[in-house]
Amino acid sequence: MAKLDSLLALPGALAAFEFRASGELLTQEIAPNAPLDPEILDLVCHMCAANMSICNMQTRGWEAITGMKGFFPVREFTLVGFDWSVVVSSAQREAQRAAGEPTLAPYQGVVLANPKADYEATFAALDK
Amino acid sequence: MIKRLLALDGVLAVCRFRDDGSLVESYGGLATEKLAALSDVAHDYRRMVQGQADQVSMFTGMRGWTPPRGWVVRGEALTLCGVGNLVCVLDNGEGSFNDILTEMLEVSHW
Amino acid sequence: MSIVAELLAKPGVLAAGEYAFRGDRFSYKGQMSEEHARMASIMCRATTMGVCMQGRMAEITRSGTGLHKPRGWLLHGADYSICVVANVFCFMRNDKGTVNAVVKHMRQALADVNMDLV
Repeated sequence: MAKLDSLLALPGALAAFEFRASGELLTQEIAPNAPLDPEILDLVCHMCAANMSICNMQTRGWEAITGMKGFFPVREFTLVGFDWSVVVSSAQREAQRAAGEPTLAPYQGVVLANPKADYEATFAALDK
Repeated sequence: MIKRLLALDGVLAVCRFRDDGSLVESYGGLATEKLAALSDVAHDYRRMVQGQADQVSMFTGMRGWTPPRGWVVRGEALTLCGVGNLVCVLDNGEGSFNDILTEMLEVSHW
Repeated sequence: MSIVAELLAKPGVLAAGEYAFRGDRFSYKGQMSEEHARMASIMCRATTMGVCMQGRMAEITRSGTGLHKPRGWLLHGADYSICVVANVFCFMRNDKGTVNAVVKHMRQALADVNMDLV
């Protein structure tokens, strides 16, 4: 599982954080001068937890009807905001779930400044 | 006429909004700006629930989900309940939720 | 060249389309049946509506969070991704470079779409 400080080293990263499936923020690291605080991240986490669930519902339905596999389970959900994006990942949890582990890791997420955002590098870092 | 919902035990406030979300009328013990915000949220919730119900219907192939009649969010002490273009704030400790919902379903058709 | 045609010309893109923010209308091009494109437009419209409304609710809770009026969203699965910006959706393979190129193109090309219409 990626360390928060290594996620914060991603291009454009403003914050890295972990949260429960319920949306509750657990831990965070925020870059100096980033316009973020734990209260905002907690809102972000709740929103992303909701959308991760919605996307899993949608991709399950999509795969069942179309037979086009490769979307579910969703590894990352990204919200593209006006100035920044937030990428949240359940990749570690899904790997643990597939391995039959009794406890699952928290979700991880990164807030990125849009001009510098490298989405693919962020996915790869969160998938590790 | 939606004022009659306030007569039910447990109903703290009631709003009716247009299809664009703007507030038509509201009654109850909440400040005007809070009732307008409640109307906005209820309008958004209504559309989201409609969108989710459309998908559940599409994926399951099961009839009866759409159009959704309403939604309920039950908190620790308060509940929000939306039916059609109506939304009510309810006190969990008072009244009968079943009775309130039945009345809202009727009033929403007016 | 329309945004849909531009996206379809990119390596790794399977299908792209547009949907009306309100109502059922949609159009698309690419490797997808009409019925599946209809489903895709319903799913994408619903999630876009959801993130926009969640942003409005977050703004009521606390202003200035940056969650208000999101441009779009991105779903990343094991083999495929879906990117939606404004009222345009794009289905793509997770080939190297595809996601970044698609998101960048969509953000720039659709920067002026009014999200108040959602």
